Amino acid sequence: MSATAAPTAIDFSSTQHVPMSRLARVEIRKALDTRAGRWLIIGILGLVVLIEVIYSFAADNSDKNLQDYIQIPGFTLGYFLPIVIIMLVTSEASQRNGLVTFTLEPRRSRIVLAKFIAGVTLALSVMVLAVILAVLGTLLGIATGGDVSWHLDGGLVFYALFLSNMIGIFIGFALSMLIMNTAGAIVAYFAYTLILPSAVGILSAISDTFEKIGPWIEFNTAQSPLVSSPYSPTGEEWAQIVVAGAIWLVLPLVLGIGRLLRIEFK
Amino acid sequence: MIKVEGLTRKYGAFTAVDDVSFVCQPGRVTGFLGPNGAGKTTTMRVMVGLTPPTQGRVTIGGHLYKDIPNPGRHVGVLLDASAQHAGRTGREILTIGAQTMGLPLSRVDEMLDLVSLDRTEATRRLRNYSLGMKQRLGIAHALLGDPSVLILDEPANGLDPAGIRWMRGLLKSYADRGGTVLLSSHLLNEVEQIADEMILIGRGRIVAEGTKDQLLAGAEHKTSLVTALDNELLSKALQEKGITATPAGSGLRVDAPPVEVGRTSVEHGIVLTDLRAADGGLEELFLTLTEDSQRDELPGQPTTAPEGTAA
Repeated sequence: MSATAAPTAIDFSSTQHVPMSRLARVEIRKALDTRAGRWLIIGILGLVVLIEVIYSFAADNSDKNLQDYIQIPGFTLGYFLPIVIIMLVTSEASQRNGLVTFTLEPRRSRIVLAKFIAGVTLALSVMVLAVILAVLGTLLGIATGGDVSWHLDGGLVFYALFLSNMIGIFIGFALSMLIMNTAGAIVAYFAYTLILPSAVGILSAISDTFEKIGPWIEFNTAQSPLVSSPYSPTGEEWAQIVVAGAIWLVLPLVLGIGRLLRIEFK
Repeated sequence: MIKVEGLTRKYGAFTAVDDVSFVCQPGRVTGFLGPNGAGKTTTMRVMVGLTPPTQGRVTIGGHLYKDIPNPGRHVGVLLDASAQHAGRTGREILTIGAQTMGLPLSRVDEMLDLVSLDRTEATRRLRNYSLGMKQRLGIAHALLGDPSVLILDEPANGLDPAGIRWMRGLLKSYADRGGTVLLSSHLLNEVEQIADEMILIGRGRIVAEGTKDQLLAGAEHKTSLVTALDNELLSKALQEKGITATPAGSGLRVDAPPVEVGRTSVEHGIVLTDLRAADGGLEELFLTLTEDSQRDELPGQPTTAPEGTAA
């Protein structure tokens, strides 16, 4: 019963830390290995296909360009990709598997980073699939009598499809880390993405002053130049994106990370 | 080995763990015993870095848990078997663990075999598992990385008697191979049979520690329970010596130590079928030591103290 540490010390120096690539791979797997996660992603892509099919039959033949089809996933993903992220992060607390996650890797900042990498990887893969679906949609546009142009505006692809969706998934990260509850974070996300811009729209309609400050303080409003033609925000619009983004994205993200690093997973 | 040094954890005004120190030695099973809410789980959560201590520290093999690289390979942890995504299958849960630790997937099958979860059960989702199955899966998860230290919170919870016996054998052989095992329980019988050392905790403080013999040393027996072929005859014989015997169940409760009852029976040639001390057992010690931290008033609630003599 000696109390000295020497004979009972364990030498861990020959063990490697869990590499980030492995942590990220596991996080991607965790986003897809539950029914909810898998079907959400299948559902998102299914919805894109459905809208494209309906569009092919309903739209004017002159509006069946690749440029038109690619806007369909652009908007659909915008609404639903953040929910994939919310489920990936909040399940650690709501489903309580954080107890295991954070005992297998007690350095929590590495799990945060792994989840960011996993979320971005998943989002990019879904975007690539969505572009492929848009190309298939355009072919369907030809089949349904469309006069198709394959021209693609770089601004549309980069701002409307890539950047706005990336901002969306990081909003998802921020809200889920702040709220750490699946249902709560999803509700907050839809309040942020649906109710907030409508409220700003109504206020802007009745007040000129508010119409001027709206884009500076409301992130969805600030982002509208990213997702609407001609897809090239002006200097002032960029400034609005940065200011509103600092309020709605950077601040909650910083607070959220701080919370995740500290909270007790029960 | 696990070394807990002056550990205190406060939640506001409430002190969950109060200046706790103990050591778990390799090659031994250490039982961590205490009533509900005594601070067992909080202590174990601090051990694995899930809860920061207010004061003091815990080291495993001389290191803080957060400094152990790939800790799953060194320390097997089971804090709560239900704390897993309910929508994952048992196999998937083990696969995620194995992948994180960098183990071959064959390890998953080995562990499923070890805890006797068959292939069909492994493909069911956790929400459809019974508590006992979750517990087996949790033990499999803790053993995945072939760790040298095991920290298990209430591992016997929900296991059937055969399961408890299986786990007892598993943990014993684990310790025999040089592993350090710490397991908690609020049930004395579970720990008594498995543990080499026992640490009794109540209200966040350690109230006693040592081997079973050390804990029981010095306990004096003043009451016995005895059953004879002829209880009446024995009762009379005892009364002649001035010893009170009252009927209790199928036998007698006697206000004398077992040795006195045995002597009387020999003197009168009365055949005994059962003779044991009615007090001074581990259970009574446990209840006495943790008395002020019990939730239930013992004398008023005989159901929690079958012998009813704690007061």
